[in-house]
Amino acid sequence: MLKNRVKELRARYSFTQSDLGKQVDVTRQTIAFIEKGEFSPSITLSLKLAKALQTNVDELFWLEEDDDNEK
Amino acid sequence: MKNDFRLHYPLWMMGFIVVLGIFLFGVNSPTTTDIVNTETEQSVLVEYSTVEGFVILGSIILYLLMLLVFYIQMKRHNKMNPTQKIPSFAIRPPEYLEQDEGMTHITRKASQKVYTFMTWSLPGLAVFAMFSPFSRIYTVLAILLVALIQYVIYYREIRRHFKEEPE
Repeated sequence: MLKNRVKELRARYSFTQSDLGKQVDVTRQTIAFIEKGEFSPSITLSLKLAKALQTNVDELFWLEEDDDNEK
Repeated sequence: MKNDFRLHYPLWMMGFIVVLGIFLFGVNSPTTTDIVNTETEQSVLVEYSTVEGFVILGSIILYLLMLLVFYIQMKRHNKMNPTQKIPSFAIRPPEYLEQDEGMTHITRKASQKVYTFMTWSLPGLAVFAMFSPFSRIYTVLAILLVALIQYVIYYREIRRHFKEEPE
């Protein structure tokens, strides 16, 4: 499952979801979907988000094994 | 986004379908009912023609009023969103939200649910139409019901993702 630190880093820079959305050219809802893990962004959007949040993609997103796979 | 007309478009369609169903019911409902009590030959004849006329006329007026408000809302949306105008006649359903990849994703999920419903309901509807002992009006009402349910499924799925949360 894809996890992310978008919400954490957004808070660090005091961005609202709308602010971040405007920077990467998506709607506020799409930022909310990403933060909630409802939607995995494309590579292009991931790179844009990483740039806006001044980090690397692999620090922003990472894969975590599902509980079912761990058993 | 919460007030986006395209988000509420399925609700409008549901409203139009319900009013159309009421109209059809009014047109095809029986006009009289006879209640006969034998031996003393008591008979009660109830005439629905006034009620029927009221239902038909009321549904037509309601439909036209809804159409007017719908048209005004659509014009307002087009004025406020010049880059995302809703054309009066379009092949693609206007309720599709495709401003970005996140919106496209939830539209796809909602469309998949509707498609799943359609793959089951259409054959069922065809069987109903072929073998139903009821009059043709019930087939038309069944079609309207399927149309209504598809909008309910679509709207519920989209709405689920749009529950407002603090930023």
